[in-house]
Amino acid sequence: SSGTGALAQWVLVELQGEVEPRQSGDLAGSLLGDLHYTQEGVPVLIVGHHILYGKVVQLEKPFAVLVKQGGAPQPSPTEPQSHYTVTALIKTKLLFKTRPKPIITHVPKKV
Amino acid sequence: SLVIRGEKDEHAVLCSKDKTYDMKIADTSNMLLFVPGCKTPEELNADPASCNIIHPQIAGFSKNYWELRRCRPKLKKLRKLLMEDPYEGPDSQKDQTSTFSKYTTEDLLNLIQASEEEILHQLQVIDACKIEGYWRILDFDYEMKLLNHVTQLIDSESWPLSKVPLGVCLEELGTLEPREMIEHILLSYGRKYTDDAGEVFFEMREDKICRAIARMLLQNAVKFNLSDFEAVWQQSVPEGMTTRLDQLQGLALVDKNSRPETIFLLKVEDLPEDNQERFNSLFGIQQKWTEVDITPYIQDLCAEKQTVGALLTKYARSSTLNGVKVYNSRRPIS
Repeated sequence: SSGTGALAQWVLVELQGEVEPRQSGDLAGSLLGDLHYTQEGVPVLIVGHHILYGKVVQLEKPFAVLVKQGGAPQPSPTEPQSHYTVTALIKTKLLFKTRPKPIITHVPKKV
Repeated sequence: SLVIRGEKDEHAVLCSKDKTYDMKIADTSNMLLFVPGCKTPEELNADPASCNIIHPQIAGFSKNYWELRRCRPKLKKLRKLLMEDPYEGPDSQKDQTSTFSKYTTEDLLNLIQASEEEILHQLQVIDACKIEGYWRILDFDYEMKLLNHVTQLIDSESWPLSKVPLGVCLEELGTLEPREMIEHILLSYGRKYTDDAGEVFFEMREDKICRAIARMLLQNAVKFNLSDFEAVWQQSVPEGMTTRLDQLQGLALVDKNSRPETIFLLKVEDLPEDNQERFNSLFGIQQKWTEVDITPYIQDLCAEKQTVGALLTKYARSSTLNGVKVYNSRRPIS
C-alpha cells in the first residue's frame, strides 16, 4: 500500500457481454448510462434504451488495483526494475447478469 | 508495493515484503468496469445529504484479472547460485581468478522468486555470510576447518560448551583465519549472548556440531555400516557432546532393510523442489517409507496450513508391512 493514509475504495461493475459505443466513436469520454438504487438498495442500470437490474455483492476475495510504476515498457537488465503499487481496493461489485430489458416509453394506442 | 519476479523460463510470482504468491490469469466472459467514484447503497444511506447526482467516471475495464495463491518461496535456486562459487578462505587462489558470478542482495532480489524477507531469512538459515558485499556460502571443508579450530581451542582451554568467549577466540585464532570468519563460525554453530559484565559468549549448539561432523564422515563413503558409523561418530565429536541419530534428520537415512543396517548421506536440500518430483525421487531411492523416516524429507513441502499427513494422502499410497504403516508411490517408478 502507499502508506499515505487509507487506500481508495473503488466499486466494480460487472456486465454480461460487451459494451459498444452508440455511434462509431470511442468508449473513452462517452456516457455509459445512469445508475440508480431502489429503496431496497437494488442497483438499476440504464444503458441506452435498456434497463438492467443487478445486485450488490460483497466480494469474497477483494481485488487490488495495481498501477505499474517506473521501468521501461520492455524490461531489460540495465533499466531500473518496475514496481506495482496498490492504488485501490475493490470489495464490492454491482453484478448485472439479468438480460437487459428494452424500455418502451411510448406505446401508441390503436386507433 | 508489490514486485513480480521471474526469469523468462519461470512462472511469474508476485511478492510482497514478506510473502510469495503464484500468479494465474483468470478470464471472464463478463466485462469488469472499475468505478472509483461509485457509491454503494449503504454509503448513500449513511449520508443522505450527499444524495444528489454524482458523476463518477469509469476508470477502465477488463475481461481478465490475476488470481493469486500464496505459495512456498522458491528458494532452492538461492543455494544453487551461492554454490556456484563457495568461499574457500582467504588463501584460496580461486577468488582472485574466479570468473563465476558473485551475488549482492540486489542481484538475489532480481533472480530469486521470493519476497525480500523470505530471501534474507533463508540466507540466515543456510549460514551464508557477506564477504566484500557479496553473499557467500562457505565451502564445507573450509567450514569444518574453521569449526575444528574452535572446538580444539574449547578443548585446550577447557571452556564449558555453554560459555565460549568471543574475545579470546578472536585473539587466539585471529592469526590463523580472518576474524570475520571466526565470528561467523561461532554465530553459525553457537548462540550468542552477553553476560552481566557485558562480555560476549557463545553457547555451542551440540546438535548442529554433531550433525556437521556426521556429514563430514558420511560424504566420503557411499554408505557406512551403521554400528561402525555410530562408534566413529561419537569419537569424533568434541568432549562432552553426545551423538544421536535424530540429529541427522534430513541429512542421512538408515537403510533398515540391509543386514547389517547401513547409513548413507541423503540431504533434503539436494532433492527436487516440486512436490511430485520430490516424491518420485524419494520413492526411487527407497520403495517403502515409514512416516517417521519420510517426514524430514517432505516437511518443507507443506503449504501454509498443510500437514505432512495431507501430503502423504495426496502423493503416496499406504499399506501395512509387518504391522507397520508404510508409504509407497502411487505409480510405478522406473
